[in-house]
Amino acid sequence: MKNKSPKNLVVNVKNLEVFFKKKQIINNVSFQVYKGEIIGLFGISGAGKTTIIRVLTCQIKKKHWKGIVTVTNITPGKKQNNSKILEKIGYVPQLELLNLYYDLSPLVNVEIFASNYGIKKDNALKIARDLFKILDIPEDTWNNPLKNLSGGEKKRVSMAIGLIHKPSVLFLDEPTTGVDANKRYDILNYLKKLNRKLGTTMFIITHDLEAALVCDKTAILREGKLLEFDTPYKLISSLASDGQLVRFTIENLDEKIIKKIKQYPLCKDISRTGNNVIEVFIQDLEQNYSNLIEYIINNNIKIISMSRDIANFRRYFQLRIKEEEEKEFKEK
Amino acid sequence: MYISGLVRKELGRLRSDKRTLILLFTIPLILIIIFGLTSGGGPSGFFRAAIITKDDMDCFGDFPSNSTEYDDVFISIFQNNLTSFGLETYYNVSNEFAYNNAYIECEQMLKNEIIDVFIVLVENFSETIENNVNTELLYFIDASNFDAIKSINVSMLEPISLFKLEIGKTANFSMLIPYLEFEVPFWESQVLNYAFALTIPLIIIGTTMNLSCLSIVSEGPLPRMLITPTSKKSIILSKLIANSLIMILQAGEIFIATAIFGLYCLGSLFELFLVFLAIGLCGVSMGLFISSISKTDQQANQLYMVFFIVVLLFSGQFVSVGSLPPSMKVIIYSFPLGYGIPLVLDITLKGVSIHFGLFSGLLIISTVYVILAYLSYLFKKVEV
Ligand SMILES: Nc1ncnc2c1ncn2[C@@H]1O[C@H](COP(=O)(O)OP(=O)(O)OP(=O)(O)O)[C@@H](O)[C@H]1O
Ligand SMILES: [Mg+2]
Repeated sequence: MKNKSPKNLVVNVKNLEVFFKKKQIINNVSFQVYKGEIIGLFGISGAGKTTIIRVLTCQIKKKHWKGIVTVTNITPGKKQNNSKILEKIGYVPQLELLNLYYDLSPLVNVEIFASNYGIKKDNALKIARDLFKILDIPEDTWNNPLKNLSGGEKKRVSMAIGLIHKPSVLFLDEPTTGVDANKRYDILNYLKKLNRKLGTTMFIITHDLEAALVCDKTAILREGKLLEFDTPYKLISSLASDGQLVRFTIENLDEKIIKKIKQYPLCKDISRTGNNVIEVFIQDLEQNYSNLIEYIINNNIKIISMSRDIANFRRYFQLRIKEEEEKEFKEK
Repeated sequence: MYISGLVRKELGRLRSDKRTLILLFTIPLILIIIFGLTSGGGPSGFFRAAIITKDDMDCFGDFPSNSTEYDDVFISIFQNNLTSFGLETYYNVSNEFAYNNAYIECEQMLKNEIIDVFIVLVENFSETIENNVNTELLYFIDASNFDAIKSINVSMLEPISLFKLEIGKTANFSMLIPYLEFEVPFWESQVLNYAFALTIPLIIIGTTMNLSCLSIVSEGPLPRMLITPTSKKSIILSKLIANSLIMILQAGEIFIATAIFGLYCLGSLFELFLVFLAIGLCGVSMGLFISSISKTDQQANQLYMVFFIVVLLFSGQFVSVGSLPPSMKVIIYSFPLGYGIPLVLDITLKGVSIHFGLFSGLLIISTVYVILAYLSYLFKKVEV
């Protein structure tokens, strides 16, 4: 379905650099996004995620950035270009307070934003109702002041606003922040649902690494550099043993024990994921699995339980960032 | 540009904020009611007077015969029911000694607040009237009461008008009061009408500026609007339109309220309303300007106060424009009341129709402020 022909290229970024007052915020970032893809932008705070989205949504003046950027085949910067791009993209900002009129009802909110795209009132209300239904916004709240809605419902109204004009790309800045764990999955599911139903290309900025589940591609940013840009599956597979790991629960786990296990010759990585839990990556897990267990037992380390698993994106992200930090440390 | 949606948004926002909406319409009303009650036919509009007439004394005027006793007529007018004066007592003095005694007594009554004013009719009172020469009317007011001075000055026109009617002469009275050239009929609320020219435009400016001065700063989702194909130009324009619509209602309300409180208008009411609207437009655009340069609500509120005071100071009422150096004139004429007040005075009191230059002055000012608001919003950093 996701055809990588130039015709379907929605966002193209090549050698993007962003400067604010001589300070380089984004460093030589390149990636391509095709129609219908969901892109997850990950990176610790200050990595430059929002900055990239702000370039793509015409919020940063051309004098601040260099490189090739096209959104729906148009380059942001010139005023006419910007308004052409803005016609075709949707945006869901991080804070609802900045996006919604709290004293007005969800329907009126949507209608207001719809009018900016030249959508007539009746038509806007019809689209709004459809979107609200997809997003499960309770019908009895549609005409109440928005301030009476729950946080999650506000978030979904905000998404409906971003989608009102059927944009070809939707940018979401931290759509799951401030929403409880269950609702987070709901929101991600809604996004996936919308993506399937409307074919909308989506950019999701998030600190929520579980969100990678719904992403076709994930981008990992660190200090303005794009470390990776690929499907989560491919990224995880690039780990030792294709991302397969062994998880141990160990009695009285401490740093000393971890260090000991690390000394196992084929050990690639260890991450502590709980009070007594570690996950161990080794080379050629299939062949060396029993070997590892033997090594641990021989060192008088008591295993309470163990299991085999495949690394999730969270693990990948942590390891990838750690690797980068170590590399940087060595360079210094 | 899709303005109509934005305008509806503005109106929707105003409508949803019931508290502000009520304030926007009740405050001008309350101001006018307070103003109307305190300056109209209320208690302060009634003064107790005493009269000393020296008309019987000899003088060196053209009529030594002293034949006509106009002072009696004048006193009898005070004795009959005046709406603004009650006569406490009067003294008919025929020599300087009696005059001094009467004067001391009156002074004492003034001090003890038994009377508010005493009037002295000079030796040649009747003679000058008979001869159509300027008649001097001397009256003493407790100078510590600023309000009373003004009100009495104005109220004095009532007995004078009646006196003129009574004697069938158009005698000139030189009273050193500022309003001599205009005459509001005494049955109208005189104080209201004279003070009206400053107060009402001020109320209009105040309420309309209040209406729009938060409109940009306090709108959280406004930066978000800019990530739609909406331009800053349409945002400013829609705010101008929506706020002007509300302003028209406010001006209408003020217009009706002043009429109820005895506004006397010699000229066209329609033109007066037009002037109100032009003043209101200035208020709206100045408010927009304030809103566009402020970073927070608090800043906007402070700037509102500053602007209001500046508008008041440069209304041309506290400094006389004519005597100012050209540079100062420029300042006065860059604020609306320098045009608004003369326009209102012209229409209500002189019955003149709208002075084109002054009226366009108002329109130019509001245009300039709208452009300034647009420019400062254009260069303002807005971030989502
Ligand atoms: N207008 C600006 N002027 C100067 N520096 C800026 C500006 N905008 C962003 N920065 C800097 O650029 C860096 C990246 O900011 P950005 O908002 O893109 O981070 P982020 O990855 O979105 O972080 P978070 O996850 O906390 O939202 C930060 O160090 C920030 O201080
Ligand atoms: Mg951010």
